[in-house]
Amino acid sequence: MTKLRISNGMFISMIVNMIFVKSIGVTQGTLARIAGQDMWLATLLGTLQGMLFMYVAYLVMKRAPGMNFLAIGEALLGNWLGKIVALVVLTFFIASSGPIMITFVYHLQDYFLPEAPLSLFLVSSLLVGALGCFYGLEVVARLALLGMLFIFLLNVLIIIGSTQEFDIRNLLPVLEQGFPSAAEASLHYDADCAMAIMMAAIVMPFVNNADKHGGKVGMTGLAATGMVTLIWALLEGAVLSAEVTSRYTVSCMKLARNAHIGDFMQRYEMIMIALYSIPVLFEIMICIYGTSVSMSKLFGMRSNRWMIVPACLLIGGFSYRIVGDHFRAMQYLEKVWPYIAVPIAFGLPVVMLGLAVILRGRLRQAG
Amino acid sequence: MQVDQGNRQLTFEARLSRNSETIDSVLGSSVDVQKREFMLCGKPDHKGICYFLDGMVDSQAIDGILRALVVLGNELNLDPASLRSADAIRTRLMYSASAKLCGDASDGVQGIVSGDTLVLVDGLEEGILVSTRGWKDRGIEEPSSENNVRGPRDGFTESIRSNTAHIRRRIKDPKLRFDSMIVGTRTKTDINIAYIEDLVKEGLVDEVTRRLGDIKIDAILESGYIEELIEDAPLSPFNTVQSTERPDKVAAALLEGRVAIFVDNTPVVLIVPTYFWQFIQAPDDYYDRYWVGSFFRIIRYVAFFISLLLPSVYVMLVSFHHEMIPTSLALTIASGREVVPFPVLLEALLMELAFELMREAGLRMPKPIGQAVSIVGSLIIGQAAVQAGLVSPFMVIVVAITGISSFAIPSYTSSLAIRLFRFPILIASGLFGLLGFATMFFALLLHALSIRSFGEPYLAPASPYRHSEQRDMVFRLPIWMMDKRPQFAQDTQREGDRQMPRPGKGKS
Repeated sequence: MTKLRISNGMFISMIVNMIFVKSIGVTQGTLARIAGQDMWLATLLGTLQGMLFMYVAYLVMKRAPGMNFLAIGEALLGNWLGKIVALVVLTFFIASSGPIMITFVYHLQDYFLPEAPLSLFLVSSLLVGALGCFYGLEVVARLALLGMLFIFLLNVLIIIGSTQEFDIRNLLPVLEQGFPSAAEASLHYDADCAMAIMMAAIVMPFVNNADKHGGKVGMTGLAATGMVTLIWALLEGAVLSAEVTSRYTVSCMKLARNAHIGDFMQRYEMIMIALYSIPVLFEIMICIYGTSVSMSKLFGMRSNRWMIVPACLLIGGFSYRIVGDHFRAMQYLEKVWPYIAVPIAFGLPVVMLGLAVILRGRLRQAG
Repeated sequence: MQVDQGNRQLTFEARLSRNSETIDSVLGSSVDVQKREFMLCGKPDHKGICYFLDGMVDSQAIDGILRALVVLGNELNLDPASLRSADAIRTRLMYSASAKLCGDASDGVQGIVSGDTLVLVDGLEEGILVSTRGWKDRGIEEPSSENNVRGPRDGFTESIRSNTAHIRRRIKDPKLRFDSMIVGTRTKTDINIAYIEDLVKEGLVDEVTRRLGDIKIDAILESGYIEELIEDAPLSPFNTVQSTERPDKVAAALLEGRVAIFVDNTPVVLIVPTYFWQFIQAPDDYYDRYWVGSFFRIIRYVAFFISLLLPSVYVMLVSFHHEMIPTSLALTIASGREVVPFPVLLEALLMELAFELMREAGLRMPKPIGQAVSIVGSLIIGQAAVQAGLVSPFMVIVVAITGISSFAIPSYTSSLAIRLFRFPILIASGLFGLLGFATMFFALLLHALSIRSFGEPYLAPASPYRHSEQRDMVFRLPIWMMDKRPQFAQDTQREGDRQMPRPGKGKS
């Protein structure tokens, strides 16, 4: 059997795929509502904060190479802490399925298939996600590599289709609503980074030389994501204006619909959505993977494969509840999700790092 | 190395009559089994028998054996009593290039059914197995399914030894190895595993040998049998073993550190490990200049995507997302579909099935009739169907372009797999629009990402990404830039430094 190994390039791609779709899809609208035309600044601030906490997560795993957060918890204070960490990770990934499904479903349902039932979107995405998890993390990582290519093409298409309407005046004046407003808005981008940090918490042990280069690679991934997302933040602000962007749940679709190449290609947002599909399905796969791994830890199982179906059922049920009502979805997206994501993804690495420093003897023993 | 399956052990004795009975009991009274009695050195008290199969042997070689055994010994005034062992006969009398001793009757029988001649002499406990294989072979022809414009025209034939000789002629490297196996308890098919000892991926030959050795089957009639019995993903429609009739392709594969599997009685040779992208590459890519090679390779990639996706995209757009079609084009499509009574998915399925039907019928029928069927099917029926309002002209164009594109893929077996994949994507797109298209496409992509070919990821070097191998992926870079073999080869350096031609300034 081939030992599971993820290359550094794959890991960077996984981080980009994990954040990109939601951050351009729904987060930019939220940022525009809070920070106006400074949404690009909020994205930048969020990127820097995300990089910092990705490094903290790396510092934890550097102390116990080959172990994920769940295993480190168990090594530090025994089985009970391992299970508590598993429960926290489980909560995170189930909670994250809400915004991920909001991104996936609203893009497709609102703009392409308005009459299709919600369950169809959930079932089809979970089926593909479950298939990816069944094939294993290495296959999912390889998919992320292709997803990176798709993201590149998507960005090229949006730049080609939008630059003729780019108006820098829409981005001025900078910091009109003050720095605190941009900093507050960055919390929503932090929530996107949180998904990548928690993914790293369970995936990083499989990355080549993670104990040496994990921090650098993780931060590079977040920086790369920041760059590709910044293109959209700038385009949405400059082409649509912050005011228009703030009125849309799925603001990137407004930009995509606006894009055109000459007179013949007046609309090509479907091509962009096709390119968008890999990253969004990747997010769903990681969500199922994280849920199934933490469930298998909770139930003391060695393999997560048996937990893929229960994980899909949990995620499906939760997402159905959240996505079914637009108002509830927006409430959850803006008022609940960031306050679950950020404390867990930023707090857990800090707590684990503290414990790892205090109880380093136990960690060394377990290693 | 010889692997023998299922033969009883029967040893020869010193009595010719007993040995003859043993051979007769195994071979029976088959009409093609020939027994030719002779007297060693022409002496009546030293009898012998030659066993061979009519039609499997070169009769001149048999004549030569008999001349050596009967006439030569007599002319040399040899006393048969002085030839006390089979080895003495072999070394002193016989001048056949390949003759070996055979103490075991089952080996003798195996030799006879393979086209060799078994010589038995009274009083000797061993026989002599002389290589006399010589049946009528098909001449060397250009492979009909792998045409090229520039490059060698020779193709493999049904003779395994001719086929290995094709490779020897191309690679005059003493490190080129051909290991032998026999698979099939009844057909006893000769299999040769070819590789270059100091290039081949480490452990690959052992793995291929193990997989071939694990085969327990009565008959191997074509390399397709072997392919299905050793492939990594037996349930997948993707072929993870490359097959070819072209010696230059096999030679190139061996030089990259791969292994080729030759099977007797078929011109199709297998190559492992295989990347998916190899099926889109053609030998011409390397024989033409790199600009041309790269251009046509890109055309083939486009053909691949058209072949896989065009009908699905058309159905999806017309059924669900017509607002995505540019207005003038949408109006043209709508006017063509006005009289068509079927939903677009059904129309596409009918046309695709009709196309496959014509292709299959054209393939199975005698060549002149097959061409007629293709012309009648494509032109007359297509035109009639459009005029009758059963299908739209646009759908005919889509299906025709799809069909042509599938023929642009150099590997025929792979183009068949792509044809199969077209249908689930088409049905999903027709039923669920963009959602169905994306879901089915990515499910297939995940599947392709999950499979391996003898330890190598199937979609490498795209994913996992391998930088050095990109020089021969989408583009075919100049030969002087392709200085590396695939990274699984033992020795990855294939060229010296600075191979780019640099004519000296001012010098002729």
